[in-house]
Amino acid sequence: MTQETGQKTLLPTNEDTTGPYFPIYFRDESLEDLTRVDAGVVGQAKGTPIILRGRVFDRHGNLANGVLLEFWQANAKGLYRTPETEGHTDIDPWFNGYGRLRSASGAYSFRSIMPGTSDNRAPNITVTIFSDGINRIVTQVFFPDQSANDADPVLNVLTESERHRLIAKHDGRTADGAEVYLFDIIMAGDGETPFFDDLQS
Amino acid sequence: MTTLGRQLSIGPTDNTSDQRTPRQRLKLIPETARKSFVPYVPARYVSRTHEWDLTRISPDRPRAHGEAIEITGTVRTQSGAPLRHGLLEIWNANHYGRYRHIEDHSGLQLDENFFGMGRVVTDENGQYKFWTISPGAYLARPDIGRWRPKHIHISVSGGSSRLITQMYFPDEPNNHSDPMAILMGDAFERNVGTSYETPNIDVEQGFRFDIVVGGRNATFFE
Ligand SMILES: [Fe+3]
Repeated sequence: MTQETGQKTLLPTNEDTTGPYFPIYFRDESLEDLTRVDAGVVGQAKGTPIILRGRVFDRHGNLANGVLLEFWQANAKGLYRTPETEGHTDIDPWFNGYGRLRSASGAYSFRSIMPGTSDNRAPNITVTIFSDGINRIVTQVFFPDQSANDADPVLNVLTESERHRLIAKHDGRTADGAEVYLFDIIMAGDGETPFFDDLQS
Repeated sequence: MTTLGRQLSIGPTDNTSDQRTPRQRLKLIPETARKSFVPYVPARYVSRTHEWDLTRISPDRPRAHGEAIEITGTVRTQSGAPLRHGLLEIWNANHYGRYRHIEDHSGLQLDENFFGMGRVVTDENGQYKFWTISPGAYLARPDIGRWRPKHIHISVSGGSSRLITQMYFPDEPNNHSDPMAILMGDAFERNVGTSYETPNIDVEQGFRFDIVVGGRNATFFE
């Protein structure tokens, strides 16, 4: 499919800061654990369960409170669930790939499955951050010891030290068999996480 | 034409913006990876039927304090296609400028009849409607006397559209000192609702706020 269909004629509404008060009331626990559809429903995602956890820091090394994190990833077979892939034999009916949580403190823990390798891409999860003081910022997190990392086009636009910041650290396994990965995000300043965009300046 | 990503700007007088805005230029997404950066948000119809009316906590409860208003509009992508069945999550301060959020420590007055959070879903034509109480402005920086102008927060998600924005009100004195409004420059006008009269419905005035979800992402799966 083409990347852009149709002429762009309308001027976009400006993004704006989320402010400090994104309603916790809108929380949806089924978006915080993608390994199953819902705690009370039979329906498991295929693949290796993982826990991605970490902290979001500001420029002064303080935890960034009140962040809204969104996650987007392929299933264990490396396939994203979009209208384009609906009906594909590798679609996992119990895995959508879109997650969301709001962290009061700036520390987070997201449960999912290890994404597969797809096309030319190493396993990765897109992480979108909304919070007070900023508009949306976006990055991708990768996993250690994946041979596909060497040829990944996103990792390959980065310097060696930037690459390291996007590769999560393995931190053992939980009693119930989930592999734990640590991924801290530094929004600004020393050790800043690389963020990505598709608008040119 | 350059091939550099954007350098984000810091909102003037906004400490949080200073603490959290990336200082490095954003990296341009390599073409072969673009698709992976475009979340497809599955439809989640979590709106309860009464949530379109934020002027009451539920239909059997009294009206909240302040001016009841209606907000209507259409959500489209930049190519003009309506966002059908998109989820709008809405939150705004009460008449006194206070959020019913556990982290709002402003000490401003709460209203026992105002919740300030609601969700609506766009229809087949991308149209939405909700009622709320016209929010109070609130003092964001007491030390320098900077107010946040009246505003309503709106989060839009659905398909490959994703946007968090705010609707502002016309002719408000604090619009021009707002850090994010300053960064928007002339484009700020797109985030201001347009007033209309509402003679036949039980609100004092209406505001039209058409939303266009921008970026290349918004039309990726059209
Ligand atoms: Fe606000």
